[in-house]
Amino acid sequence: MAVSTDELKGLYYYLNLVRQTDERCRRLFKQGRFHGTYFSAVGQEATVVGSCYGLRAEDVIGIQHRELGAVITKGMPLKYVMAELYARKDSPDRGKSHPCHYGWKPMGIITPASTIAAQTVIATGCALAFKIQRKDHVAVCFVGEGATSNGVWHEALNFAGVHRLACVFVVQNNLWAESVPARLGVPLDDVSERAKAYGFPGLTIDGNDVLLAYETTQEAVRRARRGEGPTLIEMKTYRWYGHSEIDPANYRTQEEVEYWKRRDPVPRFERLLMERGVIDESYKQATLQRIEREIEEAIDFAEKSPHPEPHEILEDVYAPLG
Amino acid sequence: MRTMETAKTPGAAVGTDVKTVTYIEAITDGLREEMERDERIFLIGEDIAAYGGVFKATKGLYERFGPMRVIDSPISENFLVQGAVGAAIAGLIPSPELQFDDFISLAVDGIVEHAAKMRYRSGGMFTCPMVIRCCYGGAVGGGLFHSQANQSWFMHCPGLVVVTPATPYDAKGLLKSAFRGQNPVLYYEHKRLYRTIKGAVPTHDYTVPLGKAAVVREGRHATVISYALMLHRSLEAAEKLAAEGIEVEVIDLRTLLPYDKETILRSVEKTARAVVVYESSKTMGVGAEIGAMIAEEGFSFLDAPVRRVSPPDAPQEPFAPVLAAAYLPDAARIAQAIRETVAY
Ligand SMILES: Cc1ncc(C[n+]2csc(CCOP(=O)(O)OP(=O)(O)O)c2C)c(N)n1
Ligand SMILES: [Mg+2]
Repeated sequence: MAVSTDELKGLYYYLNLVRQTDERCRRLFKQGRFHGTYFSAVGQEATVVGSCYGLRAEDVIGIQHRELGAVITKGMPLKYVMAELYARKDSPDRGKSHPCHYGWKPMGIITPASTIAAQTVIATGCALAFKIQRKDHVAVCFVGEGATSNGVWHEALNFAGVHRLACVFVVQNNLWAESVPARLGVPLDDVSERAKAYGFPGLTIDGNDVLLAYETTQEAVRRARRGEGPTLIEMKTYRWYGHSEIDPANYRTQEEVEYWKRRDPVPRFERLLMERGVIDESYKQATLQRIEREIEEAIDFAEKSPHPEPHEILEDVYAPLG
Repeated sequence: MRTMETAKTPGAAVGTDVKTVTYIEAITDGLREEMERDERIFLIGEDIAAYGGVFKATKGLYERFGPMRVIDSPISENFLVQGAVGAAIAGLIPSPELQFDDFISLAVDGIVEHAAKMRYRSGGMFTCPMVIRCCYGGAVGGGLFHSQANQSWFMHCPGLVVVTPATPYDAKGLLKSAFRGQNPVLYYEHKRLYRTIKGAVPTHDYTVPLGKAAVVREGRHATVISYALMLHRSLEAAEKLAAEGIEVEVIDLRTLLPYDKETILRSVEKTARAVVVYESSKTMGVGAEIGAMIAEEGFSFLDAPVRRVSPPDAPQEPFAPVLAAAYLPDAARIAQAIRETVAY
């Protein structure tokens, strides 16, 4: 399938929006404008933008802590993303959850818990419902390579394989699970080989190539919609900063970080679009200005949003017992 | 649809249009009727489809509703519950069956982090209506790993509703309420009661409210608070004591979380004495919470300390018959504890 100019521009916009938002959030946290911590995914933007761009509102995504780009690309309004980080009353979670645990029902973004891998399992359950309901919606299930060592992830893939559910399992292999290197978490060079055990295809791609991530995911999504079952896509990438902003990440070498920074997905895609004549310098500047404005508006919204009130601690524990 | 009070005495008739069924038949009937009423409901669990479940609780449902609504699951307890949470937020009403309470530890993440917290963690955006059925309990010779009663673990999980019926009437009525609400319900079935307890249930549709206890025997000398199998043994004890002139009020909790404080306190205010009879090791069991609550909110009513009657702090009911017999309280032990409390 040929990717249209509009799609290329869309990918470009989200790639930059996610990068700028992420860097801005890091600064906001460092300035103490919100508390807790912040999980940056700078360096990994292509994986999530590529895999969420073009999904339908009815498709669901199951996310972990490092999927800022997934929720933005899937369509969570930026102001709610910010309000979530600020734990304010206008956050969709009303300040209840945890930093970077974004959720937005209108766009099928499932508010996660922290237990790693679980969100992919819950999204797999959504895919089971889609099958029972005879809907052609798809569940895109995100994990890091570290989470693929968790038992429940295997239970979900096994079930999805048995029932040929409309799931796309995206593994962002960023080589580290907090401080543990991938070689101590997975006894394989390619995590995608794990798919063999569950009877569906597993692919490994360059996760810093947003176009490839997009095309590969879209192919898997089409397959899933046709009822042909799940696909696992491993996207090799790298997180530039610590596990979260309170982690100095001194378990990694500077060479390794530099190596990956040279493979930055953002300028790489920009060069491609410039070469193809899809965008030019003035388009770039206009896009960046628009993004800057959108981020400012979102921060403004979050900072003006009130804190939740103490009595709200008991809201949303139960629905009426009936 | 009418809401009716439970029978005063378990197993007693409640009207004219009634039929007598076993506890497990009440559950099977409840499942079938709810699935007929609401096509969003589906069942998923190990051996529940053509086989009908290890205790036959889902007998005939696969034939009636087919493979999309009665699904045999791989042995994946963790997925069972978490997958069901996903199906619930996607608009269905799943009912995963956990084969034994002894395996529920594998599903705790799904129950506690996801089902119980989905509404809270999403600020009410996502709700998680589902009915997790799980059989539990001793007195069936099940040994250490097929007898467990882990209700108190889940009484510590706000957001979750935990119920366990003692009678066919409540078994069916609570199940129906569970399927009709928006909360995740952990529905605990006592396997000793499956075929030993029969009772009358209405042939028309009815529900039993969640979160409400029932006074199943009235008395003025002491209040016994219990549920499920221990309720039946408590009633036996009350019967014995009646012959001695001790009138015991017996409360069936029915819902363990969130439980019905008012009914308990109202009764203790009347009797001034409370005995909690429960099935699990003593420390931090159901009695710890009920006892503490009475001490905190009903201290001035009391003429005697709150008494707990439970198995000892052994890990669970052991296999050897002699050891098993030393585990669960019987009517004699319960009666003795009540006598002592009344004599205090
Ligand atoms: C079940 C569970 N165990 C441990 C953690 C703590 N933890 C949070 S993120 C993380 C590392 C995750 O690594 P990976 O899946 O590769 O994702 P990444 O952080 O690299 O994006 C750990 C150990 C957790 N959240 N959940
Ligand atoms: Mg990782």
